[in-house]
Amino acid sequence: MAMFSQALDVLLTTPAVFFAIIGVAWGILGGALPGLSPSITMALLLPFTYSLDPASAIVLLAATYIGAEYGGSIPAILIRTPGTNAAAATVIDGFEMNRQGKAGLALGISLYSGVIGSLIGLVMLVALSEPLSAVALSFRPPSYFALGILGLSVIASLSGGSLVKGLIAAVLGLMVATIGTDPVTGGNRFTFGTADLLAGVEPVLIMVGLFAVSELFVQTAEQGGQIRVESRARIEFPGIALARRLVPAQIIGSIIGTFEGVMPGAGGTVASFMSYNEARRWSRHKEEFGNGSPEGVAAPETANNTVAATAIIPLLSFGIPGSNSTAVLLGGFLIHGITVGPMIFVKSASTVYGLYGGMLVASIALLFIGMAMMGPCIWLVNRPRAYLNAFILALIFSGVFSIHQSLFDLVLVLIAGVVGFAMRMLKFPFLPTVLGLVLGYLIESNYRRSLVLSGGDHSIFLEDPIAVGFLAVAAVFVIGSLLQPALAAWRSRRRGEIRDVRG
Amino acid sequence: MKAIKAAILAAALGLAAQQAAADDYPVDTVTLVTHSSVGGGSDVFLRELAKYLGPKLGANVIVENVKGGSGANAMARLVASPADGSVFYATTPTFIYTSLLSNPEATYKDLEPLVNVFSDPEVIYTAAGSDFKSLKDVVAKAKESRGTWGAANPASLERQLLERLKTAAGVEAAIVTHEGGGDMMINVLNGTLDIGVGEVQELQSQLEAKQVRILATFTADRIATQPDVPTVKESGYDVVARKFRGLAGPKGLPENVIAAWEKAIPELLEDPDYKAAYTAANLRPEFIPHDEYVTFIDEFGTDTAKFLKDSGVIE
Repeated sequence: MAMFSQALDVLLTTPAVFFAIIGVAWGILGGALPGLSPSITMALLLPFTYSLDPASAIVLLAATYIGAEYGGSIPAILIRTPGTNAAAATVIDGFEMNRQGKAGLALGISLYSGVIGSLIGLVMLVALSEPLSAVALSFRPPSYFALGILGLSVIASLSGGSLVKGLIAAVLGLMVATIGTDPVTGGNRFTFGTADLLAGVEPVLIMVGLFAVSELFVQTAEQGGQIRVESRARIEFPGIALARRLVPAQIIGSIIGTFEGVMPGAGGTVASFMSYNEARRWSRHKEEFGNGSPEGVAAPETANNTVAATAIIPLLSFGIPGSNSTAVLLGGFLIHGITVGPMIFVKSASTVYGLYGGMLVASIALLFIGMAMMGPCIWLVNRPRAYLNAFILALIFSGVFSIHQSLFDLVLVLIAGVVGFAMRMLKFPFLPTVLGLVLGYLIESNYRRSLVLSGGDHSIFLEDPIAVGFLAVAAVFVIGSLLQPALAAWRSRRRGEIRDVRG
Repeated sequence: MKAIKAAILAAALGLAAQQAAADDYPVDTVTLVTHSSVGGGSDVFLRELAKYLGPKLGANVIVENVKGGSGANAMARLVASPADGSVFYATTPTFIYTSLLSNPEATYKDLEPLVNVFSDPEVIYTAAGSDFKSLKDVVAKAKESRGTWGAANPASLERQLLERLKTAAGVEAAIVTHEGGGDMMINVLNGTLDIGVGEVQELQSQLEAKQVRILATFTADRIATQPDVPTVKESGYDVVARKFRGLAGPKGLPENVIAAWEKAIPELLEDPDYKAAYTAANLRPEFIPHDEYVTFIDEFGTDTAKFLKDSGVIE
């Protein structure tokens, strides 16, 4: 009860409510601009938080995170370009729905799934902060290695047609992940003497190149009339029957979002891909996935907004930022002289409870601000293609440039765009590349760290119960998805036989 | 009456002297460059410093974040700047490691150390629930079975200290590197690691929550806030380190600029408001004047290069 009164106190005595709303609006804009990740959108605000009271400053940053996780889905649906890394999974079915003239519905599903995800994530943050942080503590290097392998096993079922092409694409991502500083010795790998590559290649650059720039290339290369997307200029929420159908996908999204949020390093991107995959696995309409399934939008969008809340759990209870976004949030705490860690609930309780209250306001405000900003966004996509493409290219480049003010980053994005164009032409899937890139470092560093711990003995992976569990689940995934085509063929043959008998 | 007159005179003289110092500083605006991002360690250090430094130095002080390449970009920015006292770089051991590891176009050797301001004590800590009561226990465990010691980053002062401790104690311990202090903290807390090495201010919240215990410090003397904790040297292993936080400028800094800083920094460290701010942030003042600092950085660079070669990181 003390918590509620303190939260209410902060909301009533500081401008936190105002900043929650500003944060959501800014977050949606930043998320919707391809190249501006949630962490960059938040970082752009950091200088302005110096002069605010601590609670307002933290609420502003957290609300931006919430807004950005939703905002990322707008360009994903409208122009096939994920505005944020975590919206990459939304592209698949969201853009397909747009092509079928259901952009308004896709955006509506994304918005209300985001609101549901934020609210569930917030409940998790408030209620489970302590028990869940105990889980994070029992993760040892072998467990993290196994977690990464589990993430990679998703590739088996993400590859679309050809598993071999999927694996090649994944290896490409893993190779890019080895660029930079060696995680164990500290030496340089594949930096070609460039200081720009020392810290490795940021996944966001590759993603922007693969998804956005290659799309522009493809559209430029297309001859004749452009396919104009007939979007309804109004946001549309699903009817009761459809909303009911989306519930399982949203539950899957919020469960996976909760787990991934709590584990440092996993983050919203892994969560949205995994929940997309799980939603398909458990769906009654599997065949619609990839062809404009509303569940394929609801699951990842619920997951990434859940992560926006649950990623704060390890930050608050250990002071460990599990992602770039929470690292920026940590910076917000540090600016105001608040030590984040186990003692924060004792020493700065009112700020923490103010944060909870502000996030509640932001989650609800997301619904209304999201609706208000939808119109302009849909208007934008119906502009003539040539203008729009030029505008997108300018947005991508200015967004990428704003990260480090580096021309080198622009070159990387262009290279990734060319590679992406070639992959599209040769029908290689992108998603395994992105997963390899995101998970490569996690897997490699923890694999080698485990072996340093054990002195080179591989049995360390079998002695860690969490690792054994994850690896077993990964094995089941891979074998299952390999057997699936055979199983489906066998089933349809049996059905055929039955029909024959009947006939 | 005489006393009052003297006081007024002294005050007037003091004011005049201060005025003179203000006029003497050759530029109006001083830019302090850091490679850390807004809110990061060096950034907080500089912004706090900038707030109090302006009046003492007689110039506007602003902070600029030049990110990328773990300091390589910031060093290049410094080398391309005029040596007139208008641009300085916040030095930490990182700038030496980056110089040695990645052969950037500009290295620490192309910069001139100005003065040192603070020093962060590096300490050895263990989980509060562990059986290790002293550094001796840790070494004893490493002698009979496999010791597991953690350092936050692969190319870091922390790892260098552990390698030296390993040699000094004559044991074979696994030195496990991480992707930052938070990452390592989990492995210390869950018992994967026997010990970790880190700065006191990074441990502050875990210390307050009594989740970790400090076993020894790498400082030359015991640290004031932990008077019961022995130094590593007292425990019988001759390993001492200073994790410095200071400033460096382009080569060929003018005498009057150096003099202005050598005067301003010690004054600043005594300023009650600033003292309260940096004490709260767990920074420990350690002023090193220009000449001594140049030698110190040079020796630090030579030692580090030797360590990196011996451990096979660079050729």
